[in-house]
Amino acid sequence: MTSSSDNSQPAGLDCGGKRSATPLSAASVPSDKAVSPLRSATAVQDTGSLSRTAWIAAVFCLLVSGYMLYQHVLAAERDPWKSPQLLALKEKLRATPTDEAVKTEIRRLDLEFRQRYKRRLALDVTGGWLLVGGVAVLLLTASQSAKLQLLPWRPKLRADVAGEARTLSARARWSVTALGVLTGMGLLTLALSATSPLPRSAAELDKLLGKGGESELAANVPNLAEFQANWPQFRGSDGGGATTNERFELNSSSVIWKTPIPAPGYNSPIVWSNRVFISGGDAVKREVFCFDAVGGKLLWQRAIENVPGSPAKPPEISDATGWAAPTMATDGRRAFAIFVNGDLAAVNFDGSLAWAKHLGVPKNAYGHAASLAVAPGKLIVQWDQDEEAPGGSKLLAFDCVTGKQLWERSKPTHGSWASPIIATAAGKSQIITLALPFVMSHALADGSELWRADVMEGEITPSPITAGGLVVAVSPNTGLLGLRMDGAGDVTKSHVAWKAEDNIPDVTSPVSNGEVVFTVTSSGGLACFDLKDGKQVWQHELELEVQASPAIAGKQLLLISTKGDLISLLAGREFKEQGRSKLEDTFHASPALADGRLFLRGATNLWCLAAERKKAE
Amino acid sequence: MSQTEAPESFPSPRPTPLRKGSGRIVRRISVKLSTGFAGYASAKKNAGNSCSLSPSEGERVRVRGRSAWPALLILLILNFVAVAEPRFPPPDFTETNHQIPGTTTPAARAELLQYLDVGVLFTCLGVAVWFVHKQRSRRGLFWLGIFSLAYFGFWRLGCVCAIGAPQNIILGLFDASYAVPLTVIAFFAAPLLVALFAGRAFCAGVCPHGALQDLLLIKPVKVPAWLEHALGVLPFIFLGFGLTFAATGTGFPICRYDPIVPIFRLSGPNLLIALAALTLVLGMFVGRPYCRFLCPYGALLKLASLTAKWRVRVTPDLCTQCQLCANSCPFGAMREPSASKTDPKFLAPDRRRLGWLLLLLPVLIAGGAWIGSLLAVPVSKLNPTVELAERYIRQQQSPVDYGVMTPETLSLQRAERDPEAVLKSATDLRQRFWLACLIFGGWTGLVIGVKLASLSLRTTRTDFEPDRGACFACARCFRSCPQELVRIGQMPASEVPQTAVAVNT
Repeated sequence: MTSSSDNSQPAGLDCGGKRSATPLSAASVPSDKAVSPLRSATAVQDTGSLSRTAWIAAVFCLLVSGYMLYQHVLAAERDPWKSPQLLALKEKLRATPTDEAVKTEIRRLDLEFRQRYKRRLALDVTGGWLLVGGVAVLLLTASQSAKLQLLPWRPKLRADVAGEARTLSARARWSVTALGVLTGMGLLTLALSATSPLPRSAAELDKLLGKGGESELAANVPNLAEFQANWPQFRGSDGGGATTNERFELNSSSVIWKTPIPAPGYNSPIVWSNRVFISGGDAVKREVFCFDAVGGKLLWQRAIENVPGSPAKPPEISDATGWAAPTMATDGRRAFAIFVNGDLAAVNFDGSLAWAKHLGVPKNAYGHAASLAVAPGKLIVQWDQDEEAPGGSKLLAFDCVTGKQLWERSKPTHGSWASPIIATAAGKSQIITLALPFVMSHALADGSELWRADVMEGEITPSPITAGGLVVAVSPNTGLLGLRMDGAGDVTKSHVAWKAEDNIPDVTSPVSNGEVVFTVTSSGGLACFDLKDGKQVWQHELELEVQASPAIAGKQLLLISTKGDLISLLAGREFKEQGRSKLEDTFHASPALADGRLFLRGATNLWCLAAERKKAE
Repeated sequence: MSQTEAPESFPSPRPTPLRKGSGRIVRRISVKLSTGFAGYASAKKNAGNSCSLSPSEGERVRVRGRSAWPALLILLILNFVAVAEPRFPPPDFTETNHQIPGTTTPAARAELLQYLDVGVLFTCLGVAVWFVHKQRSRRGLFWLGIFSLAYFGFWRLGCVCAIGAPQNIILGLFDASYAVPLTVIAFFAAPLLVALFAGRAFCAGVCPHGALQDLLLIKPVKVPAWLEHALGVLPFIFLGFGLTFAATGTGFPICRYDPIVPIFRLSGPNLLIALAALTLVLGMFVGRPYCRFLCPYGALLKLASLTAKWRVRVTPDLCTQCQLCANSCPFGAMREPSASKTDPKFLAPDRRRLGWLLLLLPVLIAGGAWIGSLLAVPVSKLNPTVELAERYIRQQQSPVDYGVMTPETLSLQRAERDPEAVLKSATDLRQRFWLACLIFGGWTGLVIGVKLASLSLRTTRTDFEPDRGACFACARCFRSCPQELVRIGQMPASEVPQTAVAVNT
C-alpha cells in the first residue's frame, strides 16, 4: 500500500524550471565554529539570571502547593460530616440522649470544625493567588530562558533513510505489542481478582429473594392454621384473647406442672407447639426462656446481651414496669423479645440467637410495655414514646428471618402502653394501635396509614381487640368504643359505632365471643356489653384485684386475680360462675391457651393447667 | 503526485504585500512582546542582530514570546483551581427536627443560547478552515484559539463540547428514554464533517482544550517516534472505555475524568485538580499531551481526516526537501520523505510479517473480547446501583447497627425499603456490562491489531508533509518553509534553497 504522494522521479534536485535554482553555498551555511549571537556573554548572563528566577519561582510554587496539600490531608480528619471524633460523640449521644455534656461537646466540636473549614477556605484562596503569581513568574522566566538558549536547528545528513524507517517501524511494533500485553495482563488481573456477591442470573436472584419453593424464607413461613392453633403473641393469634375449641374444668387437679421462673417480668407466656416462651430480666441481665409445654422443664435460656448500640449504662426503669414487660411473639421458627431498654432480639427454637438489634432507649414515662405483634414474615413493634421524646413515636416492621427493617412510619401519637393487633378488614391486613390521642390503622404491607379516630384519653394501657367487624378499644378516661374498620382518613365522626361509659377498665384488655364484650376493672368490676350497640348487658363485682386480661375458651370466660384466684364463668348474656380455683402465686400476666392447656405466669412460677378436654358444644 | 503539477490543495493564496523592511519590523515586535526582565535589553539586542536566524526559528521565538502573556492571563484566574473543596455539609438538626429545604435544579439554558453556541461553533470551524487552507495564517489560528478558549472554555465551562458528545450519542442509541439534544449532535458531527474535507481544523483553533495546551507550550520535548506510536493507541482505548460506560448508563467518564475542564470551571475533585496540574506541567514540555495521547474525540478526527480532500501542506508550492521544516512541528506530526527505492531483500519478510499480523487480527479481537467479558464484575462496581446492591447483600450477611447516619448508611437504608428492585436492577445492569465489556475488549484487540498491521505497511512519500491523521493543522510549520516566506514576501524567490543536503538515498 502506498500513499497518494507516490512519485517515480527523484525528488528535490530538479525544480522543473519554475524558479531559479540557487544552491546553498558553503558561505551561507553557518559553520560549526561560528558563535551564535544567542551565545554571547551577555546572553549567557541573562540566561543564568532568568534560570535562577525560574528555579526560585518553581521552589516557591512547590512550597505553596505542598502546604495547601498538607492542609487538605488534615481536613479529612476535621470534616464536620465524617470526623471520627464527632461520630463517636454522636454515637454516645444516641445511647444517652439526655446527656447535656455530650451535646455541649458536640456543638463545640462542630463549631470548631466549621470555623476551621472557613479558615482553610480563605487560606486556599490566598494560596491560590500566590500559586498564580509563582507559576506566572515561572512561565515567563522559563520561556525567556528557553528562548535565549534556543539554538538554530540544522538539517542533518541522513545516510540510510530506509534503514532508519525499518528500525523505527520495528521499535514501534514492539512498543505497541508491549502496550497491548501490559494492558491485557492488567485487565485480566483486574478481572480475575474481582468478586461480587451479586447473583449472576435471574434464578439466583429469585433464590436470594426467597421466591423459590426451596427458599429458606418460604420454608419458614407457617400457614394461617398453624398460627390459629397456637398462641403466638399477646392474647393469641389475633390478639383477642379468645380460643374456641377448649373447655376447662378447673379444680385442684387441673395443675399439670409448675416451674420456677429464673428471672422477673410481667410479660405473658406465648405458646407454639410444645414450647412455651417467656422473657425476664433486670438491669444486669435480660433473658429469653423456653419451657417444655408438656412437662414444664426449662429447655434453654438465652441471654440477650452485647447488642450493638445498647447502652452500657442501664437506663432508669420503673419498678412497676420492670425490664421485661412486653410479651414475646413467635412466627413458629423464632421467638422474638423486646426489652424496656430497646433491645430487640430473635432466638431460634434451639436457643441460638438469630439476630439482635437496638432500637434506642425509649423515652416513656412508665417504660416500654407494648407487646410485639407478628404476621407471616413480619414482626411489628409499636414504638410510642412521650410527647417530647426525640424521634417521636413510630410503627416499625422487621423481617422475621433477618431482622432487617422493612418499613418505619412516624405516628402523631404519644403515651401508650397498649399492644398492637393485626386484623383483616375492608380487604386489607391492618395493624390497629391505640395511643394518645388516636386509634390508628396502618396497612401491614407498607405501614401506610389507613384511618385514624381522635377518641383516646387517659393512660392508654388496655389493648384493642376485633370482633364482629369492629375494633373494640378502651379509652380509660372516656369509655369503651366500637369502631368500624372500613374507613379512610379521619373517621372520628363517621366510624364510631357505639360508646359505653360505665365499668371501663384501666389496665386489662377486653375480650369478646363475637356477641358480647367482657371487661374487668382493676378492682374486679366485671361487665358485659352488647357488641352490636355497646349497651351493658350485665355487671358484677368480684371484689378481687385483677391485673391480667380475661380470656375466653369456648363458652368459658377465664379470669385470674392478682392473688391467684382462677375463676371460670359462663361467657354469655347472664352472669354465672362455673368454677374457682386458688393458685399460690401472684399474677399480673394474662393467660395463654393452646392445645388443651392453660398457661399462667406468676411472679414465682410458670403454671400449666389442663382439664378434661371436651369439644365445644 | 507529480512534481510538475500543483498539489491538490486549497486554492493557492495570493502573496501578501508587505512594507519594505517588514522583516525588521516583525522582529522588533517580537522583542517588545518578550518583556520585562533582565533579559529584555539583551533580547532586544539579540533580536536586532538575528539576521542569521532562520525564519522558522524566528517564528518559534515570536510564538513563544506571545504565548507567555495569554498564559499569564489564564493563570491569573486559575487561582480558583486550587480551591477543590467538598461541598459544605449542612448542620445536623436532629434535636429540633428542622427540615432543610430541598435542593432545586436551575432552569435549563435558554434554547436560543444553545443554538447560538452551535452557530459560534460553525463560524469558528469555517474561520479555522479559512485560516488553515486559504490564509495559511498561524496568527489567525492563534487568536481564534484565544477566542475559543474564552468562549467554549471559560465562558461555557467546557460543556457542551465535542469531546464528550460521543457518549451522549451512544447513550441515545442504547437508552430509548434518553433524547440526544440537537446541539450535542451538532457538536459531535460538525467537526467530523469538517475533518472529512479539510482535516483537523477543529483542533487547530476551535477546541478549547487544544488552545489551552498550545498556549502553555514553552520548551517542546520531542517524544520518540516509537513511543508516540504506542501512546497513540490510548485515545482509541479511552474512546471505547467511555462509550462502554455511557452505553450502560453508568456515566460519562470522558467528561468526568477530563483533566482540563476543572481549569475552565475553576473547581473540581481533588484527583482532577491534581490531574489538571499534571497536564499543565506536562503541557509546558510535551506538545498537546491530552490531544495526542488521550483525547477520544481526536481518535475519531484522526480517522476522519485520513480521507480529507484538502490536506494541510507545509509548502504552498513544490517541496524542495530543504529539511527546514523537519523540526518545526512540536507535536510529532511531521513526516519525512521515504527512500525512493526499497531494498528487494526486505520485500518478502515485510509481506510475511504483514500476512501474519492480518491473521493475528481476529485472534486479538477474540482474545480482547474474552478478557473484556471478564471485566464485567469489576467495571460494573463503578455503577452506583450495582455498588449499592453489593453493599446491601454484604450487610445482610453481617448485620450492623446503623448508628449515626452517614451518606453511605442513608443510601443503604433506602435500599432496604425495596431491596428487590435494587437487586433486580443491579443484576440487569451486570448483564449489560457483560455485553458492553465484551465489545470493549474486542475493540481494544482490533485497535492494537490494526496498529500493528499499519506499522508493517510501506509508505512512499516524496515531500516533507504532516501526517494526515496526526496533524492538528496549527500552521506552526508554514513559516519554516522558504516557499511560504516567498509567498508572503518575506524572502525573494532567488534565495530559496534547493536542497541543503541530500535526503533520499
